[in-house]
Amino acid sequence: MTEAEHSRLLYWAGVALGPLAWGINLQGVYVFAHFSCETTKTSGTILSVLLVIVALAGTAISARAVRRSAGAEWAEVQGGGPRTFMAWVGVGSGVLFALVIANQLAASLMISPCLR
Amino acid sequence: MSMAAEPRELRDDVLNGLQLSTQLERVWRTPSGFLGALMSVDHKVVGRRYIVTAFVFLLLGGILAVLMRIQLAGPEKTFLSADKYNQVFTMHGSTMMFLFAVPVMEAFAVYLVPLMVGTRNIAFPRLNAFSYWMFLFGGCFLWISFALNVGPDVGWFAYVPLSSLQYTPTKRPDVWAQMITFTEVAALAVSVEIIVTVFKQRAPGMTLDRIPLFVWAMLVTSFLVMFAMPSIMVASTSLILDRLVNTRFYDSSSGGHPLLWQHLFWFFGHPEVYIIFIPGTGMVSAILATFARRPVVGYPVVILSLIATGFLSFGLWVHHMFVTGLPQLGAGLFTASSMLIAVPSGLQIFCWLATLWDGRPVYRTPLLFVIGFVVIFVLGGLSGVMVASVPIDTQVHDTYFVVAHFHYVLIGGAVFPLIGAVYYWFPKIAGRMLSERLGRWNFWLAFIGFNVAFFPMHILGLIGMPRRVYTYTADMDWAHLNLLSSGGALIFALSFALLLVNVIYSLRKGELAGDNPWNASTLEWATASPPPPQNFDRIPVVKHRDPLWADNESLPVVAGLSAERREVLLTSLAEAEPQIREASPEPSIWPLLTAIATTVFFIGSIFTPWAVLWGTPPMAVALIGWFWPTGSKEDEE
Repeated sequence: MTEAEHSRLLYWAGVALGPLAWGINLQGVYVFAHFSCETTKTSGTILSVLLVIVALAGTAISARAVRRSAGAEWAEVQGGGPRTFMAWVGVGSGVLFALVIANQLAASLMISPCLR
Repeated sequence: MSMAAEPRELRDDVLNGLQLSTQLERVWRTPSGFLGALMSVDHKVVGRRYIVTAFVFLLLGGILAVLMRIQLAGPEKTFLSADKYNQVFTMHGSTMMFLFAVPVMEAFAVYLVPLMVGTRNIAFPRLNAFSYWMFLFGGCFLWISFALNVGPDVGWFAYVPLSSLQYTPTKRPDVWAQMITFTEVAALAVSVEIIVTVFKQRAPGMTLDRIPLFVWAMLVTSFLVMFAMPSIMVASTSLILDRLVNTRFYDSSSGGHPLLWQHLFWFFGHPEVYIIFIPGTGMVSAILATFARRPVVGYPVVILSLIATGFLSFGLWVHHMFVTGLPQLGAGLFTASSMLIAVPSGLQIFCWLATLWDGRPVYRTPLLFVIGFVVIFVLGGLSGVMVASVPIDTQVHDTYFVVAHFHYVLIGGAVFPLIGAVYYWFPKIAGRMLSERLGRWNFWLAFIGFNVAFFPMHILGLIGMPRRVYTYTADMDWAHLNLLSSGGALIFALSFALLLVNVIYSLRKGELAGDNPWNASTLEWATASPPPPQNFDRIPVVKHRDPLWADNESLPVVAGLSAERREVLLTSLAEAEPQIREASPEPSIWPLLTAIATTVFFIGSIFTPWAVLWGTPPMAVALIGWFWPTGSKEDEE
């Protein structure tokens, strides 16, 4: 596989999209909480669900990269397959940060945004 | 490796054996004499100085801790006055966090990372020397101020409005704030060096998935430093400006806000915990693999955990502010992230336990400290999950429960691995082994002393003893637990005295270590102990995640670097394929002179804004001297 084909696989997507989605969710809902109490629950829920999807999309893209090119490298205990390695880290990263966003969504559903 | 030929240049591929070693030592050695020592840019020399200086600050901070425990050992003691106690606990926290914990981790990285990635010096070696001098001068500035009774007394986080001019009209908060600037400049410089060294100077073949776990940990830590430290530098500088020229960032009567300080401080302060802890995990991984006699289980999982912990550490800061009246929804969000950071930490713990389970563990002193780390850190993590919950945090906020929690996390998570690392890497640094018998005494005294000192603090906090009180009355029923805690603290202090004795004794009479006394797998053990100035006669080629276990007898090498001037090999980011040869700077006095000029600038600017004006030209002159073309070959490349 050529360098250009490798770069199109975006094996690092999960590493980037997971934390990015979580960062936007954290700041977004925190900002909403300051400005409103009536509509935060709905807007926060929509935001969090969308960002869970973004984080999981990162996982899916990284998983696709593993399936397309990197599977064989994974079996090598001695290393030497950095793209596959980063793709697997991306798979885990997307799932982990989707979990964090979902946990924050649960918190925002349980607590009234009007509570001060 | 093919490289562009340069006529008549002596390369390391035409020399062999002793001839090559002698030639490279001549090129890479630190100049002799006092001036030569001040000019050194060798990462090992700077790293050793950094380590020793950080441990001196540990000793000083530890003495302060003992003073506090003597004062609190019984009710209504007058060993320390209220004012002195305020200075002592502030100095203890500031010294341990800013002058010991962060610098000592970076110090180990400065010494070890270039060796572990198989290069001859750290990236930007003059910046490295500058960083050390800034750290030293910042630490001396703080401690000399303390000796002159101008030591800060506003807590290690210097909350406004207490630290504002109105409530503390002395220079004490300015000393604290400017010490922060010194140490953060030093930390940021080291972080840049580590990142560039890891990304660009790895030995050929050391792909991203062959980087040692300690190096990965330091890489993640360096990014944390780069994103967290600017926040505290903004905070400390704006505090100085508020106090010096009345800028009113934190004055609510003029549109400022005291909570801005807390947000800025804790946006740095919480990642700071992980800046200290993540290197500790790297040390644990290195020690565990060696003494379990097998690679760490789940290498990618450990790295995922390091990266995830690094990101998540930036989303927890508000849990330090739960009682400030923020919206409850916001507090709930930060509770969620605070609890979820236990997931990557837990993943690492399970990987380490699996490594021990599946390995053939040899219980030498470094491994004992790692096991102590696991026990203490898990306990600290459990109380961490408790205080991440708003209702519990509201109850125990500012009590000794929190003091117990963060000492379990910081001492368990960082100091135990660090002392294990001292036992593990001392043979490489000094060429001699530390005494195993004294080491075992050291461990058990530390483990027992630590738990006796800090576990009772959980109970003291739950029964209502607040932090930062210089004394208490007998009718509070806190005396017995405080006496127990003070006794434990003395045992804990004794364990460090034993470590010092062990180091001094072993430096003179310790058993000779040899290149690889532990039969470890990473590249720092492929060279002599202590390593020669050039680190490696020829740059190793890495074909395995554990190169010395895979190629113990004949580690492949690459040749072609200059043998008549300082040169390092740059490689590609992901695959570590050789790219170009790069000149490495010669020793220079200018980093020291620049640090002196910067010190004058920093200290002057807490007394008068004019210092910014007259302090700048000396810095400019020093920097011009630093970067002035010398006509050496490094400038022709």
